[in-house]
Order: sequence, then structure tokens, then C-alpha cells
Amino acid sequence: MATEAIGGETPTLFLRKATGLVRGWSVRDSIIYAALATNFVTLGLYEFTFAGPAFPKGQFITAVIISGVWVSFLVIAYAGLVVTIPRAGGDYVWQSRILGSGVGFVLAATGWWFILWLWAPIYGNILSVQLFQPLWATLKWTWPGGGAAWFGTSNGIFIVTLITIALAGLLVSLGMSGYARIQKWCFLGGMIGFAVVVVLLLANSHASFISSFNLEGQKLFGVKNAYSATNAAAAKAGYTTSPLGFGPLGPTMLLVPAMMFFILWPNWGATLYGEIRGASDFRRVFTGMFAGLWITVACTVLCLLLIAKTVGWDFYQNLNALDYNLTPTFGIWPYPFLFAGWLVHNTVFQVALILVLSLWFFGWVGTLFLSSTRVIFAAAFDRVLPDRAAEVSEKRKVPVYSLILMLLPAAGLAAVYAYSTTFRTYTLDATLVIAVTYLGSAIAVVILPWRKPDLWRASPASRIKIFGVQIVPVAGIITIALLVFNLYEWLSNKLYFVNSRDSLIYMGAMYVLAIVVFVSARIIRNRQGIDLSLINKEIPVE
Amino acid sequence: MRIFFATDIHGSEVCWRKFLNSAAFYQADLVVLGGDVTGKMMIPVVAHNGYWQVTVRGETLRLETRQELEAVQLKIRNSGSYPAIVTPDELKNLSEEEGAVDRRFSVEMLASLDRWLDMADGKLKGGDIPCILNGGNDDIWEIDDVIESSPCVSFAEGKALELDGFHLVSMGWTNPTPWDTFREAPEADLRQKIDALAAMVPDMERAIFNFHAPPYGTGLDDAPALDDTLRPMHGGAVMKAVGSTAVRDSILEYQPMLSVHGHIHESRGIKKMGRTLAINPGSVYGDGVLQGAVLELNAKKGKVGKYLLVNG
Repeated sequence: MATEAIGGETPTLFLRKATGLVRGWSVRDSIIYAALATNFVTLGLYEFTFAGPAFPKGQFITAVIISGVWVSFLVIAYAGLVVTIPRAGGDYVWQSRILGSGVGFVLAATGWWFILWLWAPIYGNILSVQLFQPLWATLKWTWPGGGAAWFGTSNGIFIVTLITIALAGLLVSLGMSGYARIQKWCFLGGMIGFAVVVVLLLANSHASFISSFNLEGQKLFGVKNAYSATNAAAAKAGYTTSPLGFGPLGPTMLLVPAMMFFILWPNWGATLYGEIRGASDFRRVFTGMFAGLWITVACTVLCLLLIAKTVGWDFYQNLNALDYNLTPTFGIWPYPFLFAGWLVHNTVFQVALILVLSLWFFGWVGTLFLSSTRVIFAAAFDRVLPDRAAEVSEKRKVPVYSLILMLLPAAGLAAVYAYSTTFRTYTLDATLVIAVTYLGSAIAVVILPWRKPDLWRASPASRIKIFGVQIVPVAGIITIALLVFNLYEWLSNKLYFVNSRDSLIYMGAMYVLAIVVFVSARIIRNRQGIDLSLINKEIPVE
Repeated sequence: MRIFFATDIHGSEVCWRKFLNSAAFYQADLVVLGGDVTGKMMIPVVAHNGYWQVTVRGETLRLETRQELEAVQLKIRNSGSYPAIVTPDELKNLSEEEGAVDRRFSVEMLASLDRWLDMADGKLKGGDIPCILNGGNDDIWEIDDVIESSPCVSFAEGKALELDGFHLVSMGWTNPTPWDTFREAPEADLRQKIDALAAMVPDMERAIFNFHAPPYGTGLDDAPALDDTLRPMHGGAVMKAVGSTAVRDSILEYQPMLSVHGHIHESRGIKKMGRTLAINPGSVYGDGVLQGAVLELNAKKGKVGKYLLVNG
């Protein structure tokens, strides 16, 4: 029997060669995953268009840093859960085990399954505005009718969302193996694209930006003196912004719930951690998520500073304000990286930059349905969903029924999203519902030492202390504060477009649907003589 | 007939205790433990003059009393490891002498199994509740004789056991793994072993395959893809089928009523393969949770009536 001694000269542990004893996964991979999840290009820039005009007195850099610090506690809390119960399924498994089957199902189904139907059209819209619109505009393509602007129409958004859904479904069907390799290259390519933008914005002055903006604006869109025209239109609409700096905290805090749209996801990979030896290493898990989060924060701050220096902060916010009022300067979404590319008057370069930057989208879109299929599988194995939901096709190993449960509702919602401008404003609903799921996990980590004392005592997380205080439950409490603050703001402040009647009905319907599914399952299974309450009931030890 | 099936408890004493209580808890007529009964880790507890020293999960403890020692030993056993009390010289010897760790591992594994079987005698009412055990690829050969000699459990490896009209055939062997463990064989050899077992079954409609290796490509055998250094690839996000093709093909050919598996802890699931219901309840022994499957067999119809995966 082959064995291994661990602990240096005086061994503290002997391992024999046995199945499953593997080395920890690469921290670099986890960092890439977390940085792509908190995607400051696809999600961050997209959200800024809304956040700036909605909260003109808020300070972006301060808000991003506050959000980063606050979400760091969420990272600690999730790292604690991952190393205590390192299971594929993440929130569903933790909440089912600690809070109970019903709570676990309702919060996981809404946060990791139903709300992803809404993320599909949001992602479709991002693909429209960050790839198709800039590409069509740069190449001056006029087909379909309206050229680049067509992608912002209802039909355009709907078609591109269907493409996005098909792409995400296809990637899940093909398996993650090839895609995971692609993700690394996408991250590398995306970072190179961002580096090019950084160099362009660093090397050029504000004056040269104005001149390039006017030149390309006229060449591609036929708008004369686009820079002045933008400023004049924003002023006419009554919009004024604050200069980028460190202003009052109150209005800045109102930006934090908006920043959650991209900063809240460093733990997205938490649902993927299975039984791997490295998952028991708190430092390793924490480092992956934490470094990914702070790469995003650093890139965002750098991006904002360079926009202020070369594009001009007021001007950037004026562009956003016009888009917010549905009167964008060029009739398409004001993509700052497109405008940075205009500093080089070469179409091939501009197209190449748009394509390279689109890797931020393609590196992440494949995960859109991945977590959902895992939650559906777990619920089917728990007999809450019909067995068929977990079926995989014999030949190609495609999770056919779980994909149908994702794709069809997503396609339906894509139509509603595309053809209802009101529904399109419910973008932050997609963040809110997942935040509620996170809240469940944050509560779970706080009560874990009392609910499962043996499990907690055996966890490496219980030994992470500062001044003798276990920091994981404390981080859980701070995470609860973060989430409650955001939920309060989203639900009470109409500027987030979340607390309208229809939006609340839409989100409420998801929870009702999850409760109905769970209660129906209990009733049906009871009739079949299957007691679902047994699933997580602990067998006595003595 | 109601069966409780669990597997891969890997030396976790708390899971063993739960397994012994599972018949009463789930009102099962029979309990079956698939292979991989033994643990993978041994933790030296160094006996010094007047105290013991041990490092558990990175935390070094100085134990002054026998009560403290017993509490830590229990904690180690519950996590699936073996506490080995050694003198400083013995520890040095373990580190330096070829084969010394192997020998000590075997001693601790067999002593632990002996204690477990003593516990079983009391819990299973001296054999009134049928309890079936077999080996897994990680189990050393010496455990076979120890289990075989127990009066209250039945050792199932390589046998066809008749259970109230059903026939259970068991095999702890698996297809080759990167760890080169004890009971591994090429697919062709596995197929021969399975065929030999199947020949002992009079009626496949009432047959239960208890094979440690899950069938290949069924979702019951997905494990993280590893590189050459046994490091998970792509952040552990990429899973790969690692089950046995011989097990898959034999299930599809013989079509037993039920097929229960283990081996791949993270691949808990259920798969219908023709008329066969194939199940891997998975394992989270390190958490002290006994995952298992509660199965109700319908003797009249020769099929599985109800089933539920549980986290006990």
C-alpha cells in the first residue's frame, strides 16, 4: 500500500493511496472564474449607464470600493460554507441541510433557476449593445433595416436573446470541458483588449478624444459636432452630474445597490465546488474569490479614472443620461470602449478591438444555465421534481429536460422583455432575487455553529479567528447587513425600477411558483407513499 | 421489503453508528453497506511523558488527561481517520522505515473494524436485522476475513445472497483508477466477474446488482477531470465520466430490477437503464452525514416500488 506522510520532519498525518485523494485545484482558475463572474465590462459598464443618471450626486469610485469591501465579507462567509460543506449544488445543499428542505428549495429554485430566465434577455441585450451594435456601426452595415440601431429595437433584442439562449444551451449540451478551456483564453483576450483601451486612454488627451469623437461620429453616424451636441442635449434635458471625486457619502451609498449588479457575484463558482481536497482549504477558496473580486474592483476604478481623464466625466455621464432618457446620441448604447477605439482612425483596428472585448461576454455566457441545471438535478434526486428532470440523453449526455425547463421559459421571457419597455426596466430584479438566496445562505452560515455544532467544530472555517473571534459567522452577519441594506433600497426607492407593482408581482410570482412546486411535490409524493421529510432528517448516532 | 443502502463511509465512525441505527430509523428490513468501509488517513497521537500531542486539521493539541485523549480519538474516528498512539521513537520509525506505515495502517484498520463489528452485534439484535457488507476498491484484502467471521453481518463479495425472494450479487472491484488501489481490474476482467455472478441468479427480474463501480456515462460516475498531477482541471468545474463500461453493458444486457453503486462520492443520482433502476447515493462521510437510499421492493411485480435518496 503506497502512503504519503504530511507535516515535514515530524509527520502529523499519513495518507494511504486511495480513490479521490487529489491535489487542490489551481487558485488561478478560481480567480479567473470569479473575475469573469463579476464582469466589469459586460455587467459593470452596462449598469453604469443606468446608475449615473439615476444617482447623479453619487460617487462611482467610492461606491465601487465600498461595494468591494462589503462583498469581501460575503466572500468570507461563502468560503466558510464551501469548506464546511464542500458540495456541488452550493446554496441548495447548504440551505437544505441547515435551514430545511422547503426553504432550501424555494430560495435555490428562485435564485438559481427561475430568475435566470430573466438573465437570458439581459445577457442578450448586452450582446446586442456590446457586440452587434458597435460592429454594425463600425462596418456601416445597413442590413437588417436600420443597421446598428435595429439591434436596439424589440425585434433586434428578441432575436439576439434567442441567439444567446441557444448559445448558452449549446455550451451546456456540449459539456463544460472544452468551454472551460475557452474561458481562460477569453479572459486573457478580454484583458488584452482592456489593456489596449487603457493605453489608448492614457496616451491620448481629452482634446484628441473630442476631435476623434466628432470625426468618427460624423463618419459612422452622420452626427455633426457630436461632442457638443451630446452636452447640449443633456443640458436641455435638465441633467447635471457631479465631478468624479469623493463627494458626500449619502448619495454615494445609493449607488451601492446598483453596483451589486456586477460586484455581487465573486462566489458564482461556489455551486461548482464538489468533494475535492482543495475545497477544504479555506485560504485557497477564499483567495480565488477574493482576488477575482478585487481584480474587478481595480479594473473598474482604473477604467473610471481613465474615462474621467480622457473622455471627460461630465461628458460620459451626459452620454449615459441621454441613453437613460431613450435618446442616445447615436441611436445606439454609448459603449465607452467603442469610443476609445475611435482614437485610432482605422476600421480594421476598431473592429478587432470590438471583437477582442466581446470575449468578456463569450467567456461568461456559457455559465448562464450551468448552475440552474445542477439545482434542477439536485431537486429531482430529492424527488421534489419529477425524475425525468434529471435525465440525460443516452448518446450525447445532454440534460434534455432540465434544459427545456430553462430554455423555454427564458425564450418566453425574452419576448416579454423585448416587446415591453416597462419590463426591460426590471433589470435589477435579476440581482434582487439572487440576493434573497444569498441572504438565506448568510443566515445559514451565522446559525451553522448552533444548528450543526459537530459539523462546524470539524470545519477548518471554525479555526479562522481574529482576537479569538471566529470570523466566518461575523462575516455572515456583515453580509446579512449588506443584503438587507440593498433589499431595503431596491424595494423602497423607485429609482431602481424594482418596487413598481408589476415588478413586485413578477418577483412574487416566482416565490409562489417555487412554493407551489414544493408543496405539490410533498402532497404527490405522500400519496405515493414517499415521505420527503425524511430527506434531511438525521439518523441518531447513539 | 424495504432496504436501506449506503456506501463509502471510509472509516467514519459516526457514519457507521448511523448505519447501524438506519434499519430502525427508516424501518428497513435489511441494510446494505457497499464497499470502501476503511479510512484513508491515519493521525499519529504522540505519547510523551505525562501528555499526548496530536495535530488535527492543522491545529496542534496537547492532551493532559485520558478523557481529553479519548475525546480527540473519537473526533478523529468520526472524521474517518485512524488515531494511532505512538511514542516519539515509533513516529520516527514510521517516517523512516520502509513499509512501517503500511503495517501500522493495516493494524489500525483491522482493530477499528473489529470494534465496529462488536457494536453491530448489539445494534442489529445479534443478526435479527440482516446486514450485508462488501469490500470496495479502497479496502485492503485483510478485511474480508474479519467481516466473514462476524456472526451478525454477511460478507457479500462475490456471492449471490437470497433475500426473501430477491437475489443480491455483489462485487467491490472497479475499473482502474489513477490511484492504483486494491480491487481494480481491466474492464474485460470485470465483465468476466460479473458474468460469473449473473450465472448464479435464477431470475433477473428479481435481481439486485451491488457493484461498487457505477456504470459508465450515466451521470452516476461523474468526477472532476484531473490532470497528470491529480489536480482538478479548470477550477474543478469540468466533470468527466469515470465509471465502468463492463458494469454499464452488463446492466443493459441482464436488466436486473435494481443496481446499487458507490465509488464516486460526488455523483449522487438515479438513472433508469431500461427496466433497471440504477442508484448511487453518493457519500459525504467527512461531514458525518450518512447519505443513502431507502428502497421498497415489490416482490409481486419484481420492481422497485418507491425510492428516496436521504441525508441521514
